[in-house]
Amino acid sequence: MTRAALAAALLVVLVASALSGAAVAAKPGGTLRMVFMADPPTLDPAHATDLTSSAVIRQVFDALLELDEKLVPAPALAERWMVSADHRAYTFHLRRGAKFHNGREVRAADVKYSFERAARGKRPWVFEKLVGAREFIQGGAPEIAGVRVVDDATVELRLERPFAPFLHLIAYDAASIVPREEADRRGAGFASHPVGTGAFRFGSWRRDDQVVLERFPEHFRGPANLERVVFRVIPAEATRFNEYAAGQLDVSDIPTGRCRALQADPKLKADVAIWPTLGTSALRFNVERAPFTDARVRRAIAHAIDPAIIVNRVLEGCVAPAQGIVPPVLAGWTATAKRLPLDRERARSLLAEAGFPGGRGLGPLAYHFNTGDLNQRIAEALQAQLKEVGVALELRRLDWAAHIKVVDDGSAGFFRQGWIADYPDPENFLTVLFHSRNVGPPGNTSRYRNPAVDRLFDEADTMAPGAQRVKRYQEAEQVILDDAAWVSLYHYASRALIKPHVKGLERSPQSTAPEFLAPLRKVWLER
Amino acid sequence: MGLLRPVFSRVVALVPVVLGITVLVFALNAVALGDPARVAMGQRADAAALERLRREYALDRSLPVQYAAWLGRLARGDLGESFREQRPVGEVIVERLPATARLALAATLISIVLGVGIGAVAAVRAGSALDHLLMGVAVLGISTPVFWLGLMLQLVVAVRLGWLPVSGYGDGTLTHLILPAFALGALHTGTVARMTRSSLLEVVRQDFMATARAKGLSEWAVLGKHALRNAAVPVVTVVGIGLADLLVGAPLTETVFAWPGVGRLLVAAVGQRDVPVVMGAVLVFALVYVLGNLLVDLAYLVIDPRIRDAARA
Repeated sequence: MTRAALAAALLVVLVASALSGAAVAAKPGGTLRMVFMADPPTLDPAHATDLTSSAVIRQVFDALLELDEKLVPAPALAERWMVSADHRAYTFHLRRGAKFHNGREVRAADVKYSFERAARGKRPWVFEKLVGAREFIQGGAPEIAGVRVVDDATVELRLERPFAPFLHLIAYDAASIVPREEADRRGAGFASHPVGTGAFRFGSWRRDDQVVLERFPEHFRGPANLERVVFRVIPAEATRFNEYAAGQLDVSDIPTGRCRALQADPKLKADVAIWPTLGTSALRFNVERAPFTDARVRRAIAHAIDPAIIVNRVLEGCVAPAQGIVPPVLAGWTATAKRLPLDRERARSLLAEAGFPGGRGLGPLAYHFNTGDLNQRIAEALQAQLKEVGVALELRRLDWAAHIKVVDDGSAGFFRQGWIADYPDPENFLTVLFHSRNVGPPGNTSRYRNPAVDRLFDEADTMAPGAQRVKRYQEAEQVILDDAAWVSLYHYASRALIKPHVKGLERSPQSTAPEFLAPLRKVWLER
Repeated sequence: MGLLRPVFSRVVALVPVVLGITVLVFALNAVALGDPARVAMGQRADAAALERLRREYALDRSLPVQYAAWLGRLARGDLGESFREQRPVGEVIVERLPATARLALAATLISIVLGVGIGAVAAVRAGSALDHLLMGVAVLGISTPVFWLGLMLQLVVAVRLGWLPVSGYGDGTLTHLILPAFALGALHTGTVARMTRSSLLEVVRQDFMATARAKGLSEWAVLGKHALRNAAVPVVTVVGIGLADLLVGAPLTETVFAWPGVGRLLVAAVGQRDVPVVMGAVLVFALVYVLGNLLVDLAYLVIDPRIRDAARA
């Protein structure tokens, strides 16, 4: 090889190395400093119902499966699985040598124990598809018949009927695997001293101050890069920003109303990270409560609202206006739904048809929303928009506990409600929120009952993933939007500040700043 | 011995006050909209699980029965179990109490030292430009919202100058305490300064002050040895009343500075409708307030012999 050819070859290697992410070796060590807005209520996967708790639980525990960066179920404690031809039996083969933080190896019996323990916790719906789960949850059976330990390394799960997103449920943090001896020994104390198999083990927790996790060197995937993760608990948005500006946090959220300013800030614009997440903010009607029993009134309101104004003026263009209910970022989903367009003339004529010409006779309509500056500003924007078609809105601002109460019991007729996906599947948006069997607190707070839509859901929920299944959901989604049981405003986006030295922090649509549900074992610090 | 009886009767008189407060707080919780079990279930609540949780929390019982049960447990020294944290309320409060106590004591100390100092200097230089300046600062301290002052201190002292941490408890180090204590203490410093100034100006007009000066004592010695002690009763009263300001200011200060105290716990518990924690935290605040006032009354006995003699009589 000539000297020139050697130089050219070297150059190619160098350029390839520079372009390849893999060429930049992850550096082990260091402490990642993250932040929560509130103290996690629990670190026990059986009792968690909030993102903050889940953010810690996902680092301390593993489930049989996990979602990869594209939110596709991938092996975790189970190294492989098989699905029966009728899609009702799932056999999971556990990874050999995976250990809990107390040093004991994971066995199939731990899976059965963990599922039965969690089924009687706060998220029983995760397990209710299993044969015999309902009887067990209600105390009528000593075990979940559908969870069978085949041998030490194999567990079989049987479903009452096929359920397409079942693997997503198995990857959900409520289905984390816990060691029986630790959970039994600690009882309620397990919530403050969790023991799992995760890449990080529990270090310490000073309530309302910080949670510290330490690297677990014996994790089945090998030790994580980070030595430690500290989650500070800082309730005030301005304080979180001050801590970030002072260099005391590596990751934080963008304060309300500062999105554009930070994108233009020469010092901080490189730290701004915005990505779409699996959530939709919306307005809902209780269709059983007058005057919203009349679809013409609901449609008139939908036609009078312009989400683009709210997105651009209130949310600074940092989120995307919504057409449908299911966020377009959902993998395998094609967004086809169209919301009722802004058309004030149509809104006026619908009101007149319903017997309220120019809004007369309708009276001020109560609009309920939960406390928060953003919600207040959106409510004021809605008030101004509806005024243009003669509808007066009376704003009813309540704290979350009171808001959810009036929404659940049906006393709120028109209210704000968003939805953040528990798992990435259209069923989690559409069936949960609009099937007639879910009326009330389980999700269908619109109290929407449409047998044709129920039928579409029942078919789609049990079908294998694919175009035919998606088509049924799309059809149902359009019917719901045309019935104006729900008016989509915008799809959520995660808005974060991330220091440039933080590498490998996954920004999947399910990872919502500042909690980040993604695995932190991949993160490393370049400094 | 003569003082024990009035002290005892004051302590006994506090019991119905504290109980009255707990009845009021329980009634307010009962009329507030919201279901603790529903809040605990998150965005998606299963009907059967909700019912089970309501039974677990004893929310299926009538309100008087719930209150009587709470009172019964209290008599045994048990504050019940937190809905949210599923741990004994006593444990939940006790682990946060030291942080609030440190903050409140430091803030009180700051308000006394700065308030008395500023008031004394203003009284000595009464009518001067310095007096007007100091009283202006005092009014500013009284009227500045604690959260605004807190954020400004963070921006200037912590972010811009980098002298102190922005927020948090750290390892209980003094550096973490300074900013929140100053923000909370400033609320009351102005009141103490104004009261010290006016009390001192009242006292310096008394005849015994002329006698002290006639003995040849310097002006600062007269002020320190004779005037301050005689002016102390109203100042101590203001410090006692200031406990209420501290209790009102603690939740805000603790929130702004991410300080893990009982004030923040109370705010979160109200939002979650965690009634046992709300009751426990309010009980602690009520006790601190009434016992603080009792201490102020006792301080009168130490400071003023006339009150001591009247109590003995």
